[in-house]
Amino acid sequence: MVNAFSCLVKRKVTEEHPVRSEEIEKLSAEIEREIDARFGRSLAIRELDAGSDNATEIEVNNLSNAFYDVERFGITFVASPRHADLLLVTGAVTHNMEIAVKKTYDAMPFPKFVVAVGDDACDGGIYKGTYAVLGGADKVLPVDLKIPGNPPTPAQILAGLLSLMKNAKKTR
Amino acid sequence: MTSPHQEDVASRAIREILGDNATGITTRGPGGEWYVPVDEGVFEQAIRELAVRKFVLISLFCAEGVSPESRHSLFYVLERKGSIVILVRPVAHRQATSIATTWPSAAWPERECRDGFGIEFSGAFDTRRLLLHEPYQKDFHPLDKAFVNAPVTTNDDVPVADEYPFRSVTGEGVYQVAVGPVHAGIIEPGHFRFSVIGETVFNLEIRMFYTHRGIEKLAEGKAPEDCVKVAEAVSGDESVANATAFCMAVERLSGIAVPDRAWFIRTILCELERCCSHLGDQAGMLTDVAFALGASQFSVLREEVFRKNAELTGSRFLRGMTCIGGVKRDIPADRLTDLGEFVGQLRKRYRVGLSIVLSTPSVIDRFSTTGVVKRELLRPLNITGPVARASGGRVDVRIDHPYGVYDRFVPVHTPLTDGDVLARFTVKAQEFLDSLDLIERLITAIPQGAVQSTEPVRDGYALALVESARGQNLCWVKIKEGRIDRYKVRTASYCNWPAIEHAVPGNIIADFPVINKSMNLSYAGTDM
Repeated sequence: MVNAFSCLVKRKVTEEHPVRSEEIEKLSAEIEREIDARFGRSLAIRELDAGSDNATEIEVNNLSNAFYDVERFGITFVASPRHADLLLVTGAVTHNMEIAVKKTYDAMPFPKFVVAVGDDACDGGIYKGTYAVLGGADKVLPVDLKIPGNPPTPAQILAGLLSLMKNAKKTR
Repeated sequence: MTSPHQEDVASRAIREILGDNATGITTRGPGGEWYVPVDEGVFEQAIRELAVRKFVLISLFCAEGVSPESRHSLFYVLERKGSIVILVRPVAHRQATSIATTWPSAAWPERECRDGFGIEFSGAFDTRRLLLHEPYQKDFHPLDKAFVNAPVTTNDDVPVADEYPFRSVTGEGVYQVAVGPVHAGIIEPGHFRFSVIGETVFNLEIRMFYTHRGIEKLAEGKAPEDCVKVAEAVSGDESVANATAFCMAVERLSGIAVPDRAWFIRTILCELERCCSHLGDQAGMLTDVAFALGASQFSVLREEVFRKNAELTGSRFLRGMTCIGGVKRDIPADRLTDLGEFVGQLRKRYRVGLSIVLSTPSVIDRFSTTGVVKRELLRPLNITGPVARASGGRVDVRIDHPYGVYDRFVPVHTPLTDGDVLARFTVKAQEFLDSLDLIERLITAIPQGAVQSTEPVRDGYALALVESARGQNLCWVKIKEGRIDRYKVRTASYCNWPAIEHAVPGNIIADFPVINKSMNLSYAGTDM
């Protein structure tokens, strides 16, 4: 009989597999150090879909699965922009989302960072120059970092966040 | 391929309705669909009679340059028992009558045709804009050929009078909860307007199309091979399904024969995509009832499938493999053997995760009787996919309109009838295991040979249907002078979204996330 209790006494599922690669662990350790030093041990991220095809959202979500588990390093995805240090924008900014994107950014307290994730958020991608989008996130918001990819992998997103923190001034 | 004269349910219905005159005007498309040009009088009669014969309106769209007598034509795509009839209705002066009161699945498409082409539907009960929100100018119709795709000026300020009017529910103790477009989690944007009495939802109205990226217009004028990546961008987690549908339509209209090995590989990719989607849904549903232990079982497996995808194709989303005429690269035999072993392991570990979930009473309690989709809604709204199959619907494009190798590798499923979250969870579990079986059988039986045809693309138009993880995806492609002239794409989510307005009322607002997740609707695939 398999039940929730047997999972507690059994070995953890995630340990049976080489779930965390050395590359991810090394990256993550560095991120943790940077977060500790610059963001008072926690980095609160608000994800914002400005017109994405949902592949990037899936990869951002994957950062929380057992393989990456970014909460270990102080990264949390928060429900409200009022709690966020960083806005992670995915997708080209559509006209239908423009107002919501601006309002979300305005709701964040200072100091705040904006990271564009995925080709479409970086410069409009395949939608560049069409009627429905304004272009990349930088058409509407001051973007601090762009992480290209169609979509970027969770490891690439982590590497991007690390480079942002290394270049950001100490915020507290 | 179907013979050009063989009678089926659709052609028999048309002959009965229109008499022998029908045979002279009816033509058969390369995908086996029947095109019937109808003038106004005949249209009214035909659509009424098709309703009596229990046809389902699966799509309604507009295209230019098809009917000789007018610039715009409306295509009413009706389906029954694996056969399809398309009524082609010429539109004079951009005026047509609405059928949305008798065919609810026409309500959104009519609003879409109005926004896209400026066609006014008289008698429509809902004339609010759909694709184009308030920032767009009122007389802007981007899909009309008169508009050349370029950035447009929009309204900076939206006067209060022009704000989108939601249905209002009034009465003692009724209050509204407005959610979105920016939600609390990492999900896509949409607006939900709940009218609530206490904790119970009395009415739910959804507003979509925040991620309207102009996919259909974007495709126009492109070389067909360049358009595959546009199809992949319709919805990230349906990249393979939509690319396959697009390529199938182009192959059909050009008469390109896809090599057998290519179809085996395409089908393996389609089923891997379904596995990822179903694992993600199941993890999400468990997260939404706060059962993290169960959720993490499925999200671990899903990550492994993503990594396997990357190993096989170079993309975690299986992008860049599907192409017109087959697939871009072959998958070597040792990789396929390895995939077979992986699938076997996956099945074992999945069963462990599943039994944990199904033996947890608190999960069953939250899932059971929550968010019921009634069977009566399936046909009027054209609800398809696992949502339909959890409510007693026997619909699956792979079985009803087999494409590629699905006539030889038939999916097995037993529809459930409860229509609640638990039924959808169980159906997805069955389908996940069935997809693993299919992949194993395909790997065993895969023939040697080429993986891409080199036959040229021709001009013409054709319809293609595929079964994505979410249900029936439709696309209609017209090529003129070697370029895409019209790419109509409609995903299962587009039809399944309105079902949530019926599934949620009567439930408490706290159950909305799990109901939403159990239906797994793509915002990007709806908004396009």
